[in-house]
Amino acid sequence: MRSSYLNQFLCLVAAVLVTGCDRAAQTPIKTPASVAQPPAPADPAAQASSKPAVEEPQTVQLGGTPTGDGSQSVDLGDVQPADPSKFHKEPGYSPYAGRQYPDRPYFGDQHVHTGWSADAGGSGTTLGPEEATRFARGEQVVSTSGQPVRLGTPLDWVVIADHSDGMGVISEIKGGNAEMMTDPTIKRWHDMFAASPTEALKATMELINAQSNKKLPPLVMDPKFAKSVWLKNTAIAEKYNEPGRFTTLIGYEWTSNAGGGDNLHRNVIYRDGKEKADRVLPFTTFQSENPEDLWKWMTEWEKTTGGKVMAIPHNGNLSNGRMFELTTFAGAPLTKAWAEERQKWEPLFEAIQMKGQSESHPSLSVTDEFAKNYELWDRGNLVLVPKKPGMIQYEYAREALKNGMKVEQELGTNPFRYGMAAGTDTHNALSASEEDNFFAKFPNAEPRADRWNEDAMKFGDRVVKGWEMTGAGRTAVWATGNTRAELWDAMKRRETYATSGPHMVVRFFGGYDFSAADISRSPAVAGYAKGVPMGAQMPVAPAGKVPTFLVAALKDPKTGNLDRIQVIKGWVDKAGKTHEKIFDVVWSDTQRRKIVGGKLTPVGNTVDVARATWTNSIGAPELIGVWKDPEFDPTLRAFYYLRVLEIPTPRWTAYDAAYFKVKMDPNVPMITQERAFTSPIWYSPI
Amino acid sequence: MRLTSLWREPVLHFLLIGLLLFVAYSWLTPAARSGERIVVTQPMVDGMALEYRTRWNRPPSDQELARLVDAYVRDEILYREGVALGLDRDDPVVKRRVRQKLEVIAEEQLARQAPTDADLAAYLEKNAKAFTQPGTVSFEQIYFDAATPAAQVEAARAAALRGSDPARLGQPTMLPPGASNARLDLVTRDFGLEFGAELEKLPLDTWLGPVSSAFGQHLVRVSSRTAARIPPLAEVRAAVAREWENERRTASLAENDKALRQRYEVVIDATLSTSTAPR
Repeated sequence: MRSSYLNQFLCLVAAVLVTGCDRAAQTPIKTPASVAQPPAPADPAAQASSKPAVEEPQTVQLGGTPTGDGSQSVDLGDVQPADPSKFHKEPGYSPYAGRQYPDRPYFGDQHVHTGWSADAGGSGTTLGPEEATRFARGEQVVSTSGQPVRLGTPLDWVVIADHSDGMGVISEIKGGNAEMMTDPTIKRWHDMFAASPTEALKATMELINAQSNKKLPPLVMDPKFAKSVWLKNTAIAEKYNEPGRFTTLIGYEWTSNAGGGDNLHRNVIYRDGKEKADRVLPFTTFQSENPEDLWKWMTEWEKTTGGKVMAIPHNGNLSNGRMFELTTFAGAPLTKAWAEERQKWEPLFEAIQMKGQSESHPSLSVTDEFAKNYELWDRGNLVLVPKKPGMIQYEYAREALKNGMKVEQELGTNPFRYGMAAGTDTHNALSASEEDNFFAKFPNAEPRADRWNEDAMKFGDRVVKGWEMTGAGRTAVWATGNTRAELWDAMKRRETYATSGPHMVVRFFGGYDFSAADISRSPAVAGYAKGVPMGAQMPVAPAGKVPTFLVAALKDPKTGNLDRIQVIKGWVDKAGKTHEKIFDVVWSDTQRRKIVGGKLTPVGNTVDVARATWTNSIGAPELIGVWKDPEFDPTLRAFYYLRVLEIPTPRWTAYDAAYFKVKMDPNVPMITQERAFTSPIWYSPI
Repeated sequence: MRLTSLWREPVLHFLLIGLLLFVAYSWLTPAARSGERIVVTQPMVDGMALEYRTRWNRPPSDQELARLVDAYVRDEILYREGVALGLDRDDPVVKRRVRQKLEVIAEEQLARQAPTDADLAAYLEKNAKAFTQPGTVSFEQIYFDAATPAAQVEAARAAALRGSDPARLGQPTMLPPGASNARLDLVTRDFGLEFGAELEKLPLDTWLGPVSSAFGQHLVRVSSRTAARIPPLAEVRAAVAREWENERRTASLAENDKALRQRYEVVIDATLSTSTAPR
């Protein structure tokens, strides 16, 4: 059949062009307007309750707030939490009128790799971005190892962040195009393909020749007929983006391994859609491994397109002292300009993922019993080059938050003003980090009896075992609606928290006038009216006033009850020395638990490891309280963030042991305490 | 018969001797690979400059351009040396990359034509279940923790039935006090399976319960409910088109695999079990 010859021919042209057409692919391809997302159909779930309001305004946002027309920026766009004047403050009769603050957090993963990442593909992953996106939104897919899998709780949004380095440009030709046949050479080749196998071979040789001599017909090089992997990527994101229901943020990972393995990776997240994302190709480490160059690229990108991007670094724990080092990439002293750039481009840090947590380390937070033995990957960098003493202090978020204020004290700007994010960093296209549904990072670690005892990473005799993989995590975003612009804006203003997986709801507000009277079923009403949310900075303390905080958490209906809410405070003293202190603020089972020697007694443990079950007979479904800093010094910089702990529940290893009936070594943790870390609220005397 | 005559063929002898000499020569002179040429043409340099501009929004300076060319030459040399040593062979990353390119081409070969309405209507009919819109529910709830005695809950129910403001009954919770026309699957997501299942069947317009949830117990009044339904095509056209396209895409990949496999004779000369005795 003629058309099949044509296909064959075009396929060959495409194959030959695979590298040669790179340049041709770089001019923007016009996306027809029809490709842009259709407006979201009004989601009935978003209607507010019809119930008449009483003193506490009630709102219902079970289905997310569709904010209308999708990729159009919804004009809450740039709500600045530090300037709450844009939020509704004076209650009118209708509690819903004018309400513009976020009603529910949107859970997602900003870190999914698919078979299109060279290392993921190299490890065997066959699932691409389309499968990854479908899985994230709750569809069942078949994993690379052939196992059907589906998420327990689907995500509200996802970022497919394949490595830009591997993306390259695969050019291709759209089939059956009459316009191409107008070129006599192409036409002749096409006819040769149709004529006979011998002729087809000749055509192939001619084609290869023309390609290597850069004498391909210009039409073949026409960007109209070429398409890069990046464009395919953004097209898939566009197709699955359903404002109000499920958002696909466009993104990629810039994977800088300084010195061959010091993890300085960043995910670049786009606020805009395909039309803008396609105009410029992603930055790769072929251009530079220096984050400052990435920031330059981001600057240029915004200038060129008028869009917005941010970068989210991850795995400080594998950076061998480089993620939060107090010098520039090149080793020069930090400057104010450098600090401003870093703060501007990097509002969030991914504090936990499958390769462990980078929130706190027991050697830095020696009195923190919950940092001890919690998902630590602290033996080396990404290629397990062992750590030297002194490195760890520049790898973890909590220490960076403290050091950031110290730098601010010296230079006037805080380079590490990070809010909290989480992700999986999965490389098998499956954001499957639930403990009872853990598909791990690579196809070879998908559920199998021996995976716990195999090597997750091995470089020489340096090994990370399979059981050390972490079932985490999710980023919760307090956005005003589930759209690209709203999610991105909330991330930019750091109104986010990281969880080790559960979809728990966490509220955190700081102000000077919170009291027990603000403990209500809608903490957000008082929270936004009288204070600032997580991620923001409190105004300078009025004379004699002390920071107060409204804290609240609601459990994930599928996972464990809540154990406690803690405030983690960090500050810098006059001598420039950094400190931290952890306060237990609200906890469950108050009748039997108390503070002993400054520490709350443990919540207990109901886990039946052998059966991988637990009961919610301890803990509480929700916790809420107001806390006042008992040690406040208005002259010192400080940050406060929450850590919310669940009661102990089975770790993925316990589910594996029960399902596969294997006995694991005694040193393998079988129980975990899932948790959330919120973005900090900062206090500055100036 | 034909084989034996072939072995007597002098041309074959000649070829074999030649091959032998060639192999020996190559073997004995490993440094013979020299004098290879790398030609950097103007179009290539223009291309590099263009690529630079697409990333940086400005042309490279002369110095930067020189560096780009130098990087290209270095890449090319190392690449050729590596390929000469066979380093590209049996490299899983290279293999996957090449495979990926072919798959992309195979996918696109299908051209992904826009489906017609008839295509989509047929697809919707065949896969109606996948496009079913969940039922919706409007309800109010009054919350009590799990430990609250039944008598207390029942007293609140009686009060609610008498018309007391439900917001003043029960215990405070951050859970929403109800929802209007909320999708049942989302209610289930937020309140848990048990609660969602109950909401599907409770009689309308009266305070009932307690109903258990992941959070505790609830008195519930359901005021309306709509059943799950299969929407008309117009309502879900985009989603149906997306699924239709995805199905065609996966099918074309599978077809491509199958077609290519027919061109190969696959010989597996090995034991496919690691649990047997060592070979």
